Amino acid sequence: MDMIYSMDILLSFVLLSVLFSFSTSRLVVMIRIVVLQGVVVSVAPFFLEDSMTAGTLVFTLSILTIRGIVIPWSIYAVVQKMGIKRALEINVGYHASLFFCLLLIVGAQMLSLKFNMMDFRGSTLMVSTAITLIMGGLFLLMARRNAIVMVLAYMMMENGISLLGAPLSAGAHTIVEFGILLDVLAGVMIMGIMLQSIQQKYVNLDTAQLRKLKE
Amino acid sequence: MLEIIFLVPFLSGLAVFFLPKTAGRVWMVLTGIIHLLLTARLWINPQAAMFGDYFRVCPEGLLSLSVISLLFLLISIYTTEYLNHSHIRHENIFTGSLLLFLSTMTLVTLSDHIMVMWIAIEATTLTSAPLIFIHGTPRALEATWKYLLICSVGIAMALLGSVLMTLAMDVGHVDIPVSFSALTGVAAQLDPVWLKAAFVFIFVGYGTKMGLAPMHTWLPDAHSEAPSPASAMLSGVLLNCAYLGIFKTNKIMVAAGLGSFSGMILMGFGLMSMLAAATFIIRQTEYKRMLAYSSIENMGIIAFGTGVGGIGAYGAILCLIHHSLIKSSLFLTSGNINAGYNTWLIDRVGNLAGRMPKTCTAFFSGFAALAGFPPFGMFIGELLIIVGVFRAGHYPMAAVFILSLCIIFAGFSNQIIKMSFGDAPENLPNEISEKAITVCPQYALLLTSLVLCVWMPDIFYQTIMDAAKAMGGGF
Repeated sequence: MDMIYSMDILLSFVLLSVLFSFSTSRLVVMIRIVVLQGVVVSVAPFFLEDSMTAGTLVFTLSILTIRGIVIPWSIYAVVQKMGIKRALEINVGYHASLFFCLLLIVGAQMLSLKFNMMDFRGSTLMVSTAITLIMGGLFLLMARRNAIVMVLAYMMMENGISLLGAPLSAGAHTIVEFGILLDVLAGVMIMGIMLQSIQQKYVNLDTAQLRKLKE
Repeated sequence: MLEIIFLVPFLSGLAVFFLPKTAGRVWMVLTGIIHLLLTARLWINPQAAMFGDYFRVCPEGLLSLSVISLLFLLISIYTTEYLNHSHIRHENIFTGSLLLFLSTMTLVTLSDHIMVMWIAIEATTLTSAPLIFIHGTPRALEATWKYLLICSVGIAMALLGSVLMTLAMDVGHVDIPVSFSALTGVAAQLDPVWLKAAFVFIFVGYGTKMGLAPMHTWLPDAHSEAPSPASAMLSGVLLNCAYLGIFKTNKIMVAAGLGSFSGMILMGFGLMSMLAAATFIIRQTEYKRMLAYSSIENMGIIAFGTGVGGIGAYGAILCLIHHSLIKSSLFLTSGNINAGYNTWLIDRVGNLAGRMPKTCTAFFSGFAALAGFPPFGMFIGELLIIVGVFRAGHYPMAAVFILSLCIIFAGFSNQIIKMSFGDAPENLPNEISEKAITVCPQYALLLTSLVLCVWMPDIFYQTIMDAAKAMGGGF
């Protein structure tokens, strides 16, 4: 019971981090937020009712390494290499984003209540946090134009799906996690290459410059 | 061992990265031949998979695999000549990625596990991205960025749908492997609410990759910016792979008695795609983008036919096969036109019949086949869908379907006739010789489509019927 209680405390930090990510323009802060979310999502199975075997323990630890160290470090390296500190290219202002985020958190809570998901594997906040992460990631993808922030938003969305998926598919746990990992690892890696190419072809990472192919 | 069919191109693709250029081209064609032989063996002697929980040959998968295999071989033959004048600097990356792309698409057709299918479709995005970016121009960069981002988000939605499918099992107290075949068997026991939610997310996810409107925005860019052989693969077979994901999920829906729910979604998005394509084809200025929009139209037709069910589902599968054959031939031919005129603009192309008669024959026949002229397969497929939709009593939808077909036909034929028989613009580059190798693959593709209309082997017909029957389809 205590473990589940701790899980909900961790998830409330994740919810706060989403709020924070909607109101910041600093890239390093954004990366740290996605690291926090990635770590909480990776350790979630430890706190749930399912018993842990040695295999799943090793798997969880490797996911933690990749989500918590490898991917953020590689994005951080790109940011350092390009010498960008702030991402100021936005479609929706920070105050409006923050207001939307608050609505999103409330809406996610109501939705999980409506679908009787307030006690999902013993955790009260798990489903609503997952919905907030998925929808929040989607919102940031539309509201921000900086390519790095868009990649981070995509990772936030993946974190949400992972949070929902990992405990659900206890039987097929490995394959689901493997899939998400492949997605995040390879997807982000290729996006990283694209980021460098955008930087080389244009002066900054504002995706509004990619407008040659409009009808 | 079934898995060998996707392992061969995978290992070949890796090997090509380290081979000299000419050897890489030969290696690619050889792999195409081996792949086609392995696929043909499946028709004669069905193989069991080593990992039976994950892989299985199903009728729709076998049909798609056969189309992929034939197309790849012909496209790889064309590519060997195309690479001579295409200014692709990293040729090994191109040929290697084409082979890895073939491997991942083969994986899609053979996957039975819902997550393996998802991983395979995701892998097709990753292996095809270098093909679109290969020229490294700002336009290619933009197309690749859009492709990666929009398709990744779409695929993430499909992942969420797959996760919700496990929730539908959980709530319905079903404890079986998460495979399409097993789920279809116990579909009635799955929780209907979560099953519907799963279908919606999977549909939106794979529908993005299939190019259905309004999630289609990446498609015209990616298909027009990729080199022609890659465009032919993207349009001819990748879209089919995404469709397979939707088709198999729809099978579960039909088995669960929720076919009308999924059918309405398929028909709605199908019509929306056709209308979107009609709008853009009419005022299109580039011929390769026009072909890309035509792919959106055809995917709309296929989704619509699948949603109609019955005889329409049979028509949809016919359209799927013939669209692959015809559209890939048109994309290859567009590469020839670009080589002859050095432009993608419709206004800068004219008198194709006089300047490049062999190319014009392939281009115009491809257009006639795609526009639904008899006796080509698209005509039969579309006719069956129209009969199906009338039988189902959806008259307003039938009207919109026929209207869209007419608008697209008018727009398409106007542009093609202008290019083929209109006056040639001034200051054209010198005429280039049309080598047999640059037109024969297109002729072979069109001929295959034509032969399948007048003579279809029994086993092939039966396989199409088996695929359609799973959705209440057939005559």
